[in-house]
Amino acid sequence: MSDNVKINVNGLQIESEPNKLLIEACEDSGIHIPRFCWHKRLDPVGMCRMCLVEVETPRGKMLVPSCTTEVSDEMVVDTESEIVKKAQEGVLEFLLINHPLDCPICDKAGECPLQDQTMAYGPGESRFVEEKRHFEKPIPISEIILLDRERCILCARCTRFSDEISGDPLIEFIQRGNKTEVNTFPNEPFKSYFSGNTVQICPVGALTSTSYRFKARPWDLKSTRSTCNGCSMGCSIELNSSQNKMLRILGVDNEHTNQGWLCDRGRYNFEYLNSDQRIKAPLKKTEGNREETTLQDVYSDLSKIIEDRSNKITFLLGSNLTNEEFTSFNEFSNKLGNNDNSIYLNEDILFKGFFDENIENAKIEDLNKSDAIIIWAEDLKETLPVLYLRVRQAVKNGVKLVVFGHTNSTLADISDVYFGGETVSNNFEIVKDISKLKEIKEHIKDKNVTAILGKASPNQSDQSLEKLFSYLKDNSNLKLLNAFNGGNSFGAFQTLGSVKGNREFSSEISKETTDLLFVVGADPVGKSIFSSNIKNIIDEIPTVVALDLFIHETSELADYIVPTSSTLGEKEGTFTNIEFRTSRIDKLIPSPGQALSDWEFISGLSNFCKFEGMSESLKDLNNKSFDSFALDTKPTFDNLDKPRNLDGIINTSVPNINTTDESIEFSDSFYVGKKLYGDKVTERHSKSISLLGSSQFIEGSESTFEKYKLNSGKCILVQENIEITVSYKINPSLPDSLIFFPKNRRNMNKLDFSKNIQILPSHSMEVLNVN
Amino acid sequence: MSWDDKLIKQAKKIVKIYPQKRSALGPLLHLAQSKDGYISDDSVSVISELVGITEVQVKSVSTFYSMYKQEPTGKYLLSVCKSISCEINNSNSIIDVVKDFTGLSNNETDEEGLFTFEAVECIGACGGAPAIQVNYETVEGLSTENTLNLCEWLKNETPDLVVADELQNKFGGTKSFDWAISDNSGTTGSVPGFQTLNTTKDKK
Repeated sequence: MSDNVKINVNGLQIESEPNKLLIEACEDSGIHIPRFCWHKRLDPVGMCRMCLVEVETPRGKMLVPSCTTEVSDEMVVDTESEIVKKAQEGVLEFLLINHPLDCPICDKAGECPLQDQTMAYGPGESRFVEEKRHFEKPIPISEIILLDRERCILCARCTRFSDEISGDPLIEFIQRGNKTEVNTFPNEPFKSYFSGNTVQICPVGALTSTSYRFKARPWDLKSTRSTCNGCSMGCSIELNSSQNKMLRILGVDNEHTNQGWLCDRGRYNFEYLNSDQRIKAPLKKTEGNREETTLQDVYSDLSKIIEDRSNKITFLLGSNLTNEEFTSFNEFSNKLGNNDNSIYLNEDILFKGFFDENIENAKIEDLNKSDAIIIWAEDLKETLPVLYLRVRQAVKNGVKLVVFGHTNSTLADISDVYFGGETVSNNFEIVKDISKLKEIKEHIKDKNVTAILGKASPNQSDQSLEKLFSYLKDNSNLKLLNAFNGGNSFGAFQTLGSVKGNREFSSEISKETTDLLFVVGADPVGKSIFSSNIKNIIDEIPTVVALDLFIHETSELADYIVPTSSTLGEKEGTFTNIEFRTSRIDKLIPSPGQALSDWEFISGLSNFCKFEGMSESLKDLNNKSFDSFALDTKPTFDNLDKPRNLDGIINTSVPNINTTDESIEFSDSFYVGKKLYGDKVTERHSKSISLLGSSQFIEGSESTFEKYKLNSGKCILVQENIEITVSYKINPSLPDSLIFFPKNRRNMNKLDFSKNIQILPSHSMEVLNVN
Repeated sequence: MSWDDKLIKQAKKIVKIYPQKRSALGPLLHLAQSKDGYISDDSVSVISELVGITEVQVKSVSTFYSMYKQEPTGKYLLSVCKSISCEINNSNSIIDVVKDFTGLSNNETDEEGLFTFEAVECIGACGGAPAIQVNYETVEGLSTENTLNLCEWLKNETPDLVVADELQNKFGGTKSFDWAISDNSGTTGSVPGFQTLNTTKDKK
């Protein structure tokens, strides 16, 4: 603190860390300086000149942009002088020269910095009588983003975001001077996983999203703060609804997790909430036909099965449930005398992980504080997009990055060391002696290392990761993030007695072991690599109950379907993220029809069965979820609602993951992973992003595909009597012979990777040409 | 890639000069322009791959600088100075002569692809104002008459190599000082004469 500098702003003495930007120092002391281009999370550029302030210099008072001026000791600043006011008026008058006055039809109006600041600092009247610039109004720059160049005030926030933060600069300033415009390259759309952030930080209505366009006025929106459950990052979000319809999701600046950013899937995968395909009443299958029934009827049918204590009951839970719901299922299962052995999590890649009292769990912010980051996990950009941004940020701040192949090839460009095909085999084993890899040693030896470890592909063996892990542990000061990426999977680890995954489900469960199966918010038949196995099991089990939002490949097999609320805005609860940070999930809109929360269903069912000692309210469940935690760090609703805990509470625990050790063998050099966009049922019903995950493809290197003699851009995957036509994409970072299959794309669930898959050239194009 | 091997080889040579690849962007854009007479989108794609930045970033730079042409230019790029020194020395009438002769307005190219006319900011020949550049070869001390002669000569002779000294002797007037570099050898097209780009040739 003694190093702080003292500056005088408007006659007030304020203190600030040295080298801080003047605008930030003032902001921290509660003095607001108007701005358009400056954004806390972006590098300063001084584009808009709105933040001009007067600073005393040896040559007298001077106007300087406070966003590019660092504070220095005994600086004297005036942010409200007549000259500053004149300057602000002038800047706004210039900005408004070409800004159209179409506020009445602009989505931003009402929450528009330009509108607000013109009101507060602008000249009362316009003197501009000439013609404004004209551009075609709005042009789509990607499937989800529209650009209105007339409204743009050239602050460069969007272009800086895409260059500095997301690293895919596909929009830039074109031309110069009065002709300057933001645009994309012809036929090269703004295809970024993070493009929605540019809409959020645009200080005018130049960038708008297709999903929110003309949907509401900001002053009509109801909003609440919640947590995104799309992956285990747990980004803080703000939900916006109007007339009980979810309309928009914004990123909230949570210093510890997302720092304001969101991936586009998290931002736009909400439109399914309003879908008319949602299940609205319980359905019962009788003689192959589904008919509407009542909840009481379902309860009474199920209670008959449950009351017969010889019947065995199993649960397959999706990882999108809240902690309270996991607890509720755990409690229910215990009541049935199942002793935790009957709950499975719908995750393909579940293994013991690296949890141990001796290993320090890393926090996300440790990435920035460490000397080096080691990554070996599923593709972060596809599975934990915002963590990918945090890794990029750390690298930008000078942290060394070591990446093991072959999944995170998008990080190869910015990594200091990338271990590709020479070091990592096609089934993800390190083929060299790790201790002899000089490249890694120089970055980690006795240094602070944060590792992000998880299985790169389901067929990676536990041992291959363990080898790297123990090397890191022995040679560095290691902190570790376990890269399980499924929604609230860390919440499941925390609240379920023991956890097993789809692999254990498909090998342990059969007609003999289960009489009643609950499938909750999970579509393993549609999206798991054990799909066909799981389908056979579900077909065999006498009674299957699906608790879900939609009818999909799994729930359509069920005998009973109970409509449930979505974790996104339709229920309350808590969520635990990858660093065991628990934060609030809040409710904003009502559930459609008779849909109810999963815990409400379980509570109702246990009441019907006259079970005693069950938690009766959400608050009870919430308390029970965190029974063992110390009182002051217990993430109870009461605690989480305190302002200082809005960003969540960290609570490390050692989960009990009960997976089998044997590895999954793929028949060939395959690796299976997720793409950010897939054709999950919720994505299919979210109109603006539904097409983004619709293409079917495989990836491989050029030489790999040459072996299969592919040349038409398409190929046919053949396995037994299945034929799937997909396109193939060249991914030069993949080693020879390794082929990538995106498992969350359509039809991929039909393939069994433990058996041979033939890849044949497709001649369909030639056939078309003949006609 | 729409560039032939020879051009790619030349481009890679240029890239090698710089410690950072993207520093080669400027010269490569000149190279692209020497190929087509303007920066085509194809060239932008090629360059983006060569220097490892995205296409739109290349496009951003190429549209920022007015000497990178976004449309094909004619064989002769006539740049008449309109800045202050030339203007007080009657550059307006020079501009009118060029406009009348070519029938072009600012930044236009004629249908035959012979002339492109542009009025430009200071070209550093204030001492010899008014001045014109033909394919970036400067002629100073113009009169309206000489300007017309210059245009006619270009139209009739259509020289492949334009050399400043030669033009100055034929059509120029008062020269500010001897600004020409010792190996001034003219330009072969509407790209400044760079030896690395082969846009200049020996006089003899």
